Amino acid sequence: MNFHTNPRLLYLTSLLIFVALSLAIAIYPAIEASKVPPAPGLEPLSPSAQRGREIYVAEGCSYCHTQQVRPLPQDQIFGRPSAPGDFAYSTPQLLGTERTGPDLANVGNRQPSSTWHLIHLYNPRAVVRESIMPAYWWYFQRKDQAGPGEVVVPVPDAWKPKGKVVVATPDALALVDYLLALKQPAVSAPSTGAGK
Amino acid sequence: MARQTVRRAPEADLYKQSVARLITETSAREDPVLTRILFQYLGWAAFWLVVGTLAGGIVALKFRFPDFLDLPFLSFGRLRAIHTNTVFWGWTSLAMMGLALYAVPRASKTELYSVKLAKIALWLWNVMVLMGTLALASGINNGNQEYREYVWPLALLFAASLLLHVINFYNTIARRKMKEIYISNWYILSAFLWTLVLATIAYLPWYQRGLGQTIIQGYYMHQGVGMWFTPTVVGLTYYFLPLFLNRPIYSYALGVLGFWTQLVFYTIIGTHHFIFSPIPWLLQTIAIVFSVGMMVPVWAGTGNFLLTMKGIGGLIRRSYSLPFILVGVISYGLASTQGTLEAFRTANLTWHFTNFTVGHAHFTMYGFVAFLIWGGIYGLLPRLTGKEPPVKAVGVHFWMSTVGMAIYVASLSVGGTLQGLLWSAQKPFLESVVAMAPHWLWRAVGGMLMILGHLVFAYNLYHMRPAARSTVEARSGREQ
Ligand code: HEC
Ligand code: HEM
Ligand code: HEM
Repeated sequence: MNFHTNPRLLYLTSLLIFVALSLAIAIYPAIEASKVPPAPGLEPLSPSAQRGREIYVAEGCSYCHTQQVRPLPQDQIFGRPSAPGDFAYSTPQLLGTERTGPDLANVGNRQPSSTWHLIHLYNPRAVVRESIMPAYWWYFQRKDQAGPGEVVVPVPDAWKPKGKVVVATPDALALVDYLLALKQPAVSAPSTGAGK
Repeated sequence: MARQTVRRAPEADLYKQSVARLITETSAREDPVLTRILFQYLGWAAFWLVVGTLAGGIVALKFRFPDFLDLPFLSFGRLRAIHTNTVFWGWTSLAMMGLALYAVPRASKTELYSVKLAKIALWLWNVMVLMGTLALASGINNGNQEYREYVWPLALLFAASLLLHVINFYNTIARRKMKEIYISNWYILSAFLWTLVLATIAYLPWYQRGLGQTIIQGYYMHQGVGMWFTPTVVGLTYYFLPLFLNRPIYSYALGVLGFWTQLVFYTIIGTHHFIFSPIPWLLQTIAIVFSVGMMVPVWAGTGNFLLTMKGIGGLIRRSYSLPFILVGVISYGLASTQGTLEAFRTANLTWHFTNFTVGHAHFTMYGFVAFLIWGGIYGLLPRLTGKEPPVKAVGVHFWMSTVGMAIYVASLSVGGTLQGLLWSAQKPFLESVVAMAPHWLWRAVGGMLMILGHLVFAYNLYHMRPAARSTVEARSGREQ
């Protein structure tokens, strides 16, 4: 009976070690972290913002944007350090691993203008010339004239077809609702790292 | 050539010698059915390689020309996921599976348990990659969770296909015609088993919410590269290197040591993808400590392969496969060491979130994994089909991929460091975007070389294709 000659023993052992370690290092901590209550003052998303979040996921915004602020000086511009309770309503999680663009955990406080967001989503270069963020023009309509109740986006002339108006679709408005809802609750929870 | 090796047991040693002899024994009686199914795996892998890296190339151009091809289904967020998933599952996984279909039975000195299972598994997998790509292009994904972006119905295909391979390989190994289970099969079949567990853990939704899902994400992303690609390709190399060099592996015991340490250390360090996040610090610290521990299996493997290759200088220039294997082995050691460095908090605070990580991802998945796969393919296929690829074209592939990767990794390592330093200096964020422009351009240049290299590889693969069914019997058994 040894690993070199007994396949059942070898593979069962390697499988069980993997399962046991996974339970201890990932599954159990995940179950615990899933139970963390919302940070004080954190609101669940409105249905429209929730729809916006789905678009955020569908378009893969999180490959360029994190939503986690580290307890480091260089992250102070993005907000206070993130706490576990900040993510109670965030499934799927969108913490991200790369910052091609700025962190968005607190962008609703930093950039509260829905008009700015709409122009920026229509074409980021219309407001930030050096931006490399994609234009999400397919969430807008280009028309001769806006209909009643439609939201006209004041896109500078150079960035839209001549003689047309740019109108936001409900999806664009939902996405902006989501961005504006990205606000860290003011009360700083015991700063970082869950303290476990 | 006499050499000192760490000896485990005499029969292990005898076995090592016999693996080296496989080269002379097997070529003449290769099974054309197995060769054809293997070639199907490799052909599809090459197809997905070209598709997946073309997608990567377009993504790279978008960093310089953000309005290039700005159609919804080709937009950055969708195409990036198509790139990563296609090269992971379409290219790397299919190529490894194909090579394993040969290596597992031959390292057991027996026949594959079932060619039929292998065929079904191929199609389950192909359907998954195809549907997954279409879904991602339409904006349907599994919550942006990197490398598990395919939605759950496709994960069922993933698991089903892996399960078929597990059944196939286990039964093959159980019917082996010698006493020992050769070390390559420790790694390969275990990797398939671990990945089956991993897929289950990743896709069960009920226990991962909010930050809990982040913990699983770190774990998943990490096991994907560490318990699937790494052990499979290391296992394949434990088989191919002795076969191609016609000499035993330098130390069998190091292979065994690498196996167990890989299993124990790699499994518990997933949280190093989320250092300084609100995940409990204990998990982060464990991840950092054992990221250092990972130097044991990494250098056990790298050292073992390098020592096995010692003194083959003259051979390298005449071989199709050895240059690829050499680059692959060196990249394995260097890129993993780079990963260990990046895990330290002091380094991570600068490099985390930057393009440095993207450089590391390509140094490993490309420099290490893809090169070892190419080494395996160029070494093996000519033996099986009797058809050599054009020598010049293999050289072109090698140099395009090597130089392209070097440019890719160097530009992003420098650029990523710069990004991190600008952030630390608390400059306005946009400065880091502007500063990256030349580095992103160089990355696109390196990437284009790599992509061209892949086209040449596809051409070479076509040259090594097996004879059509009807002419198989007529073909002469051995080539030079
Ligand atoms: C290719 C990477 C990339 C993608 C994908 C991307 N962004 Fe951006 N984003 C950037 C960059 C770079 C900036 C900084 C320049 C600017 O303001 O445009 C930015 C800035 C922003 C800002 C302004 C942040 C601030 O602090 O001023 C918001 C809001 C934003 N992005 C939202 C989104 C949304 C929503 C999506 C998905 C629909 C998205 N981004 C997709 C790169 C990206
Ligand atoms: C000793 C071994 C290794 C260590 C310690 C290590 C460490 C790391 C760390 C710390 C990161 C996260 C960086 C960050 O986000 O700040 C990372 C990312 C990554 N590593 Fe490694 N690495 C190792 C080997 C490998 C190998 C062998 C592969 C491929 C087969 C690999 C593939 C990747 C990929 C793809 C990422 C990017 C993940 C993402 O953010 O999408 N690594 N590695
Ligand atoms: C077999 C070959 C390849 C593999 C396995 C591979 C793998 C990967 C991985 C794992 C990532 C995610 C990195 C991270 O999140 O840290 C990635 C991203 C990327 N890859 Fe590749 N890649 C390959 C070839 C290429 C080529 C040839 C190009 C061409 C330029 C390319 C361009 C990109 C780009 C632009 C990104 C996005 C980076 C970002 O978002 O900042 N890749 N690739």
